[in-house]
Amino acid sequence: MTPGKKIPIFVDGVVLNGPQTDVKAGEKFVEEVCRLIMEEVVLKATDVNEKVCEWQPPEQLRQLLDLEMRDTGESQDKLLKLCQDVIHFSVKTNHPRFFNQLYAGLDYYSLAARIITEALNPSIYTYEVSPVFLLVEEAVLKKMIECVGWKEGDGIFNPGGSVSNMCAMNLARYRHCPDIKEKGLSGLPRLILFTSAECHYSMKKAASFLGIGTQNVYFVETDGRGKMIPEDLEKQIWQARQEGAVPFLVCATSGTTVLGAFDPLDEIAEVCERHGLWLHVDASWGGSALVSRKHRWLLHGIHRADSVAWNPHKMLMAGIQCSALLVKDKSDLLKKCYSAKATYLFQQDKFYDVSYDTGDKSIQCSRRPDAFKFWMTWKALGTSGLEERVNRAFALSRYVHSLPVRWSAIPEFVPILHWPKSCIKTLAAVQYSRSAP
Amino acid sequence: MADSKPLRTLDGDPVAVEALLRDVFGIVVDEAILKGTSASEKVCEWKEPEELKQLLDLELQSQGESREQILERCRAVIHYSVKTGHPRFFNQLFSGLDPHALAGRIITESLNTSQYTYEIAPVFVLMEEEVLKKLRALVGWNSGDGVFCPGGSISNMYAMNLARFQRYPDCKQRGLRALPPLALFTSKECHYSITKGAAFLGLGTDSVRVVKADERGRMIPEDLERQIILAEAEGSVPFLVSATSGTTVLGAFDPLDAIADVCQRHGLWFHVDAAWGGSVLLSRTHRHLLDGIQRADSVAWNPHKLLAAGLQCSALLLRDTSNLLKRCHGSQASYLFQQDKFYDVALDTGDKVVQCGRRVDCLKLWLMWKAQGGQGLERRIDQAFALTRYLVEEIKKREGFELVMEVAPVLKERMVKKGTMMIGYQPHGTRANFFRMVVANPILAQADIDFLLGELELLGQDL
Repeated sequence: MTPGKKIPIFVDGVVLNGPQTDVKAGEKFVEEVCRLIMEEVVLKATDVNEKVCEWQPPEQLRQLLDLEMRDTGESQDKLLKLCQDVIHFSVKTNHPRFFNQLYAGLDYYSLAARIITEALNPSIYTYEVSPVFLLVEEAVLKKMIECVGWKEGDGIFNPGGSVSNMCAMNLARYRHCPDIKEKGLSGLPRLILFTSAECHYSMKKAASFLGIGTQNVYFVETDGRGKMIPEDLEKQIWQARQEGAVPFLVCATSGTTVLGAFDPLDEIAEVCERHGLWLHVDASWGGSALVSRKHRWLLHGIHRADSVAWNPHKMLMAGIQCSALLVKDKSDLLKKCYSAKATYLFQQDKFYDVSYDTGDKSIQCSRRPDAFKFWMTWKALGTSGLEERVNRAFALSRYVHSLPVRWSAIPEFVPILHWPKSCIKTLAAVQYSRSAP
Repeated sequence: MADSKPLRTLDGDPVAVEALLRDVFGIVVDEAILKGTSASEKVCEWKEPEELKQLLDLELQSQGESREQILERCRAVIHYSVKTGHPRFFNQLFSGLDPHALAGRIITESLNTSQYTYEIAPVFVLMEEEVLKKLRALVGWNSGDGVFCPGGSISNMYAMNLARFQRYPDCKQRGLRALPPLALFTSKECHYSITKGAAFLGLGTDSVRVVKADERGRMIPEDLERQIILAEAEGSVPFLVSATSGTTVLGAFDPLDAIADVCQRHGLWFHVDAAWGGSVLLSRTHRHLLDGIQRADSVAWNPHKLLAAGLQCSALLLRDTSNLLKRCHGSQASYLFQQDKFYDVALDTGDKVVQCGRRVDCLKLWLMWKAQGGQGLERRIDQAFALTRYLVEEIKKREGFELVMEVAPVLKERMVKKGTMMIGYQPHGTRANFFRMVVANPILAQADIDFLLGELELLGQDL
C-alpha cells in the first residue's frame, strides 16, 4: 500500500472515511450572517429614520422570497441574499416605534447570551447534559421567588406564559385531587375555576386542553379600570357551590393584556384562603414590576399566591421565550404532578446527585435554556439596572397620560414598552384605540 | 478605569454594542463552534454540582458588572457546557452543529418575534407554511395542516387533543367529566410524553393501554387489536392509537400499515410519533421503514433530532383539511385576531395553537434545507445508517463486547470525567443497563466509531 493512501471504507454505498466536513467554511458563513445582523438588525433597526416594517401583501411577499425547498443546495452568495431578504421583510421589533405587542426592544446581553446558547444547542433535562444551564435556571428561579416574597419555593421555565398558566391549572387540579393524574376526569364532579373578564385567553384554552371545559371557566366582573371585583368573586364561588360544582382555582392577573390592569391580590387572596382555593397569579406582564421598589406595590399580596406566572421576555426584554412558573409549595408537588420517571433519562444510579435532574418537573422532554439570557442581563445590569428599566417604562407611560390628548376609558396603566433614551419625546399610542369605546 | 465601571444598557451607544457583540461572537466561534466540534477537544468538562456553582458565581446581585467580567462569564459558560456538536457526543437523540441552521437560529434570535400573526411575522408565517407543506409532501400528503410545537412531547399532546375533539367536539366546552372513560393505545416502547400527555389532558394515565412489542421493540398489531376489544369490554371508549417510528431506546419502527388497518377497522385516530424517525423519509433507501405513514391522521416529526436543525424544531403534521386545528384550539382573542384587519386573516396562525407567543422554529430548518437541498439531507441520513451498520459489524468483530451490565454507570462516570465522549445508558425491560448509541451528528465519520469502541475497551479494561 502506498504510504498515505487511504482505502475508502464503503458501507451501503456510503463512504465512511471520506473528506471531513469543512467546519471552517461553515463558520465563515455564520460570521457573514452575524455581520449582516449587526448592520441590519442591531444598528439600523434601532434608528428612528428607518422603517419598522417593509409591508408587502402576502402574495407579493411569496414571490419576492423564493421560499421553495428544492432537492439541490444553493451557493453561499445566494444563501446570504436569502438571509438579507428575510431580515429586510421582517418587522423590526426592536425599533423605537414598534408598540404592537407586549414585547419589544433588544437587550444586547440577552442577545449575546442567546448566540452562545444557539451555538451550544443544549437541552436542560439533566445535569449531565446541561450542567451550567440547569444551575443557572435554579439560580434565576431562586431570585424570582425572592422577588415574589417567598423564602423558598419551586418552579420551572416553560415555552410561554400560556403553558405556564396551563401548568398552574394542572398543578392546582392535582393538589385538589391527586388521583386525577391516574384516573382522569370522567365521572367526577364539575371542577370550576374563576378568572377575571380581562384575563388572558390562555385560561380558556387551558381549560379546554386539560379536559376541564371552557364553560367551566367563570368570569368575574371587573371595575371601570379593568380590575377584578373580589365581592363578585365571592358571590360566584357561593353560586357555583349551590349548583353542585367544585371550585378549585382562582386566577388573578397582574397586568392585563389590553388595559394593563392589576387585580387587587390581597383581597382576592382573602377569598381564596377562606374557600381553600388555589390562587394563581398570571403576572406574565406585570411580574417585572416586582424588581422596582417604586412600583411593586401594584402586586401587593402576591406572596399569598400558590403560583405565579412571570414572563421576563415582556417588560424586561429577555428575548422570546422567557417564561417562568413559580410555585410556593416545598413538598415537591411540581415533580409529583408531572413526573413520569423515564428510565432512559432519569436513571437513579447515576454518579452524581440526581436531584439536580429537574427535567421530570416539566411537561416537556427536551427544553431550551430560557433562563440563561435573563441571567446574563441581570449579571450585566444588576437588579438596580433592571429596576431603572421598569421605572422608565412607567414614567414614559405617565408622560403619555400627561399629553393634551382626549382619553376615553382611561386605564390605570397602559402597557408601554421600553425604548432607548433618544426617543423620549416620541408619542406612544399603545392599544388605547382598541380599549376606548 | 473604563473597564471596571458597571455597564448600563448600552442604549444609544452603537460602538459599545458592536464591540460587545463582536467580542462575544469571537468567543463563541473559537470555543463553541471550532473547538466544540473538534475531536481533539473534550466533550465535557465535568464538575460536581456544588463545585460548579462556586465556579460560576451564579448569584444575582443588585449591581451590574464590568465588560471584562461579562466576557469572562461567557467563556466560563461555554467551557463548562457539554459540547453537543462534538463528534463523540452520543448521549441524546440530537447532536451536531449545522452552520446554516445555526445562522438561521441567530437571525431568529436577533429578530425576536412571535409566529402568531402575519402583521408581526410576515416572512415567517409564509415560511412556516412552506416548510410544513414540504414535510407533509414527504409523508405523502398533497394537502393538510400543521404547526410547529415547542417539542415533540407537546406535538404528541396536540394529537391527543385533536383526536379527542374530533370524536367529541363538545368536550372543548363541557370537558371530560360527562364522558365515559376514554382509552388510547401505544406500545410499551413509546415515548413517555404519551403518559404525561394523558395525565395533562385529564384523561388519566390509566387510559393509556400498553401494547406488547416484539423482540426488536416493534408494536404487535394483533395485541393492539386484542387490547382495543378488551378496553371496549371494560366500558372504555378507544379513540387513539399512537405508533412510533423510531422508538427512544431501541430505535424500533412500528409496522404502520398493519396498525393503520386496525385503526381503520375500529374508527380510531392514527397518530405516528415520528419525532426521531420522521427524518428517515428523506432517504429513498431507508424510507421503507415508515411505509404506511401516509395513512396516519397526524404525524409528529422533530427535525432537531436526526437533521440537527437545533432545539426546538418539532412539527405536528395533519392530514385534515377541515380546519380542525383551528376549531379545536381557537378562541378568537380580539386583541390579536381581529377580523377587520387589512389583509387575509386566514394567514394568522395563532388561533391554531394553545400557545400565545410562539417562537419562530422554521427559519433554521428552511435555511439549512436551502443550503443542503433535499439530496444533501438525504446523504446525511444515509451516512448515519451506514455508520450504524459499521458500528454493529465492528462490535461483532471485537471480543468482550456484548450487552453491558452493571459496569455501565462506572464506564459512564469515567468517560464523562475524562471528557472524551458521552453515551447514554438505561435499563430496558428485563435487561440491565446497556449503552444506547445514537448516530446523528452530520460530521461523524468512521474514525469516530473506531474511537468510541477503542475508548470503551480502554476505560473498561479493569472491569
